[in-house]
Amino acid sequence: MIIDKAVLQVLANHCAAAAESMGYTLMRTAYSTFVKETEDFSCQILTRSGQTVASPKSMGATWYTGLDYGAVIRMFDDYQEGDVYCTNDPYSGYVATHSPDLHLWMPVFSGGELVCFVGNHIHNTDIGGAVPASLSRTLTEVHQEGIRIPPIRLMRNGVMNDDVLRILNLNVRVPEQNWGDLNAQLACVKVGERKVQGIIERFGLEAFKAGLEQLLDYAEEQARSLVRSIPDGDYNFSDYADEDSVNGYPVRICLTVRVRGDALTMDFTGTDPQLVSSLNMPTGGNPHHSLITVGLIYVLYTLDPTIILNSGTVRMLNTILPPGTVVNCEFPAAVGMRSLLCNVTQVVVIGAFTLALPDRLPASPGNGLSLVNVRTATRDGRTVMASIGPVGGGAGGGPFEDGAEGSGANMSFLKNTPVEINESEIPIRIHKYGLVTDSGGAGRYRGGLALMMEFQLFAPQSMVTARNRDRCLIAAWGACGGHAGAASSFTRNPYGEAEDLRNSDIVPLEPGDMLLLVGPGAGGYGHPHERPIERVVEDVRCGFVSRERARSDYGVALAEDGSVDGPETQRLRAALAGKASKEHFGHGAGRVQFEKVWTEQRYALLTRILTAAPVTWRFFVKHQLFKAMEGRPAGPDGGVAELLDAYAALATRFVDLPPPPRLRTVASTGVAAA
Amino acid sequence: MGYRVGVDIGGSFTDFAIFDEQSKTLRSLKVFSRPDQPGAEVLEGVRGLAARYGVSPGEITYFTHGTTVGVNTVVQRKGLKLALFVTEHFRDVLELARLKIPDMYSLLSKRPAPLVSRDMVFGIAGRMLADGSIVEPLDEAAVEAAVQAASAAGAEGVVISFLHSYRDGALERQAKAVVERVSPGLPVFCSSETWPIVREYERTITAVIGGYVQPRVSHYLGSLQSALKDLGVPADPRLTKSNGGIMTAEQGKQQCVQMILSGTASGVIGASYVAETCGIDRCMSLDIGGTTADVALIVDGRPQYGVGERIGDFQIFIPSVSVSSIGEGGGSIAWVDRLGVLKVGPESAGSRPGPACYGLGGDRATITDAFVATGLVGHSDLGYNAVHVDVGKARAVVGHLAERLDRSIEQTAEAIVNIAVSGMFSEVSGLLSRFGVDPRDFSLLAFGGAGPMMACFLARELKMREVVVPPTPGVLSALGGLIADLKNDFIRTLYLDLGPGAMPVLKEAFAELRANALSWLKDDQGYDGPYALAFSADMRYRGQSFEIDAALDSESIESGRFEALAEAFHVAHEQMYGHADRTAPVQLITARLVISGKTEKPQFPKRKLRPGRAVSDKSVEVFLDGAKCSVPLYRREALAPGDTFEGPAIVAQDDCTTVVLAGFVASVDEFGNLRIVLGASA
Repeated sequence: MIIDKAVLQVLANHCAAAAESMGYTLMRTAYSTFVKETEDFSCQILTRSGQTVASPKSMGATWYTGLDYGAVIRMFDDYQEGDVYCTNDPYSGYVATHSPDLHLWMPVFSGGELVCFVGNHIHNTDIGGAVPASLSRTLTEVHQEGIRIPPIRLMRNGVMNDDVLRILNLNVRVPEQNWGDLNAQLACVKVGERKVQGIIERFGLEAFKAGLEQLLDYAEEQARSLVRSIPDGDYNFSDYADEDSVNGYPVRICLTVRVRGDALTMDFTGTDPQLVSSLNMPTGGNPHHSLITVGLIYVLYTLDPTIILNSGTVRMLNTILPPGTVVNCEFPAAVGMRSLLCNVTQVVVIGAFTLALPDRLPASPGNGLSLVNVRTATRDGRTVMASIGPVGGGAGGGPFEDGAEGSGANMSFLKNTPVEINESEIPIRIHKYGLVTDSGGAGRYRGGLALMMEFQLFAPQSMVTARNRDRCLIAAWGACGGHAGAASSFTRNPYGEAEDLRNSDIVPLEPGDMLLLVGPGAGGYGHPHERPIERVVEDVRCGFVSRERARSDYGVALAEDGSVDGPETQRLRAALAGKASKEHFGHGAGRVQFEKVWTEQRYALLTRILTAAPVTWRFFVKHQLFKAMEGRPAGPDGGVAELLDAYAALATRFVDLPPPPRLRTVASTGVAAA
Repeated sequence: MGYRVGVDIGGSFTDFAIFDEQSKTLRSLKVFSRPDQPGAEVLEGVRGLAARYGVSPGEITYFTHGTTVGVNTVVQRKGLKLALFVTEHFRDVLELARLKIPDMYSLLSKRPAPLVSRDMVFGIAGRMLADGSIVEPLDEAAVEAAVQAASAAGAEGVVISFLHSYRDGALERQAKAVVERVSPGLPVFCSSETWPIVREYERTITAVIGGYVQPRVSHYLGSLQSALKDLGVPADPRLTKSNGGIMTAEQGKQQCVQMILSGTASGVIGASYVAETCGIDRCMSLDIGGTTADVALIVDGRPQYGVGERIGDFQIFIPSVSVSSIGEGGGSIAWVDRLGVLKVGPESAGSRPGPACYGLGGDRATITDAFVATGLVGHSDLGYNAVHVDVGKARAVVGHLAERLDRSIEQTAEAIVNIAVSGMFSEVSGLLSRFGVDPRDFSLLAFGGAGPMMACFLARELKMREVVVPPTPGVLSALGGLIADLKNDFIRTLYLDLGPGAMPVLKEAFAELRANALSWLKDDQGYDGPYALAFSADMRYRGQSFEIDAALDSESIESGRFEALAEAFHVAHEQMYGHADRTAPVQLITARLVISGKTEKPQFPKRKLRPGRAVSDKSVEVFLDGAKCSVPLYRREALAPGDTFEGPAIVAQDDCTTVVLAGFVASVDEFGNLRIVLGASA
């Protein structure tokens, strides 16, 4: 049975309606602040084999449009009406991506036949483990990240398996919160079941079953048609997070996108080994894992916002996720803060595609957005904990417009907390909150400015956490001649004895301490000297750009009264045009410095060495080699010999390590390790 | 005895509802709206009333008016050039808004450009804390410098919005005094005077929109007043408000922000009145015009209220009748994507050029064209002969799509209708889930030019029990103005931990609100009839980031029974979210009071039901549910109370067409409403 293309949209609308109803039900009845404030949840209608067909577009996290429940669904073979299943284990079936995310799925029957599933997840505020809220960069094994529930039947015939709940309750810090959220999740799948049965009644069972597959096919066709518009070729790009662990070294995500006709390969060979911190991404090597495809979904939707998004969208994709790397970590690596590297991965995907489609995609968003939480006390000693809001940077300059200011692109879903609410709820004084002049990467279209917040706490033993701090070393890149955005910074007492907190994500405070948190600016797009003079003038008038930078970056000479010095501007712009970079990417000083030591050649060798090493050794070896290379910029040959020597020394000390590779092979293999 | 006239200006048409106090009958009229010359349509209509119904302007004793001038000013960005004065180091309140970006999947999506650009935003030193204390005095010199700079840059008005001024507007008033001294005559608007809510962005944008539209709206109202006077209309116009009430025109000139959504709100008020008179306890209004499709929930004759209603690119945070958009109306354009899948919207032909069948230059198929191409619409002219329907043009534009889809024009037209309906279904379904209600318990009350033609389709998808089409569905918004009471909202933001200690403060706050409310009703509105006071408060559990407005009884406030107030909140929380925590501490953020003074309502006589079969005018050929068929066409004016007929059928009248689908049975009730019931036997 085939549904007519003139009515396929009708079915799509009904499925979308069911998904939205599920989402609203969940949002309305959930307890958790993650749900109500940051909308960290998902829900979906799934095919019988666990492919997402529909998910809400206007709410929830943007990461799960193609979530694959297949592996966990296949673990059971006796589905009955009234069953509900759950898991939060990042290593069982690779649906949950860290332990606070509890996923539920429920079979939907029609006339005794299992037709499809509905599913959802909520980020629980706490699931037990070593630290409150279960997440910390310092954790090294998944066992420290809270109780793990394997895929398990939670309900049969609508009756709860109380044993599961009793174990859960004993292991989490605020059981009533988890219980409240679980009830919301149950309400959500039940609404989903009822809505799906309504759709079946409306369209007929056969048409519905065929229709679900057709919706996946339709999304696939749309995506393939978009991919056909991308020139064939190989597009390689890497980006880094500043730190792979507390005060650690940068961690690299490396990607080669291969476009062939209407199909894509995303090859992550060259990506760093898994870490002894919780930044790892548990994908299980699933080539369509949603943590990996988020960036691609952003790219495709940006190219055509009328496409539908479901599992079919990524069928044209093959992905290579080398085992034992941060994009495919092996048990029992900790994964709680995988969001930081997931964000970097998104930016790497965008970067690789800008090489293919420079005139349709933007430069890097600021990324490195911190979610700032405060724990302090009122005058009468009551402890107060609150989220005071996200501090990050804007969207990258695009091919048609400047980037959004202060936040945007892959961080668009976040809301801030009003200053007035923060100051009413918490004993906090916010001194400044707003955009940072000159922080957006210069370009024909300017990168969005960074956001900053300066605040002060007054009680002893106060504590500030800034989850996902990043980009104080490696700034957001510009594209097509655009410059990088400004790096982020984090400073204690900026007006007294200033202390540079860099990427610290946990800061204990003394009474009266002041913190200044500045997010990273986004990259610019196109050559700044080509930005129309009147827009530069307007930027200066509005305070987005200073007079000094208008001159140095944009070649626009402005008098104090804002009037343009025409001849001088002409001279400045001609000079800028003369020395304009021909490179596609505009990197910040931090990355340029870093890559003087860590050249392509050295990184290729490093990847090769680490790939050969046992998984458990890789993080150690990487750190030893980074330490050995500190302050040793490479010569014109790429500096491979020094690195090889350093590894040879290491391999001599530790007999478990494989011998060094032969240098001649390395020198001739070029970029990525074979 | 005279005539009571309600006028509502919409995107495409301006509607008139005329109630004859003598004969107790309601009549209606439509003229084209004149966005180019707001107000001209009102005068044209008043003259039309004389010509068509013999209503002389001197007999118009009551006149209410809803207008989109304010909304259009924001949508077209043609308001006042404003400067905004904010607390120093918090200059980006408008740039950042609440940070969230509209389309969260697009890397290129941006927040709309603010109404005040950043160069016109001035930071002023002077700081109030959350408890209302001032830790840094206002820098008056900075205010002076800012006024001078703003004036030099061409500012035509100033909005002042300082942090925590919802607590106390002292710093704002002080700054206002400086502005008035330095630049006498320059309009100044304070956020604490416009609408003193906590949350700096929400309060600031509300004040900015108020200031932005003020001169145009007040100029418009002034010219309307004098034009009505020139025509000899004795009634002083009353204006419909976003909160579903009315106020005097004089006050409207001062408080434009209050009437910005008057059109949509009064439609819902009209619908509520119809629902109440018919005894419908749960009703969803469906208002579809040429450019908008809106729904609202009405329970026990009371519409839902909310804050954060959309005005163009922005939201406004004064209490409004809660209306949700579910599409772009009859003008939504149908198209075929490159994979051959048929789509409808979001692009709209709007009111100009409008649907192709209007013959105003539209050349792409719209929902209205699809209805015409199926034969369901177009058997008489629309909008009181203002529009002649060109069936040939509708078939031609639908035909272009039919070729691409390789199917007949009628099949294509029906597919367009189905897709449009399923899109609306999707929106409504989400909305109902948000409130946790079941559509099967609701009646669908259809109005607006295109509501009655689509209502049955939507009700069928949602399995709603009934569709109700009032006698003059095209002008229900205009009628709403005649129904509306004098009504105003008063708030005070308190931010209290609810407990015994809070009660004296709360009691005093409500006493003050009450005094203000009575003074508004009696002094400002010149009203001394019966009135009602509704007390409520925005409350939440400590730590929550949102509040719920819970109704309170004044007795508990007076006697200091905080437990009763807390209980009111727990119950409201339970209703909204399905759970409550009676051990958790409760905060009371804002005290609210709504005062309403009853206006005299037009009374519609109940007519006697004479059960019988309705007599059709003729049969028409239509394409419905996949096949050509012949269906009876009834003239609305020929239907009498008690008349019954079965679907499929069409009812044609001056201001709209009603489609009754197979499986529904229609009858006319004693007020002349068409009651179309699913599955009932005749």
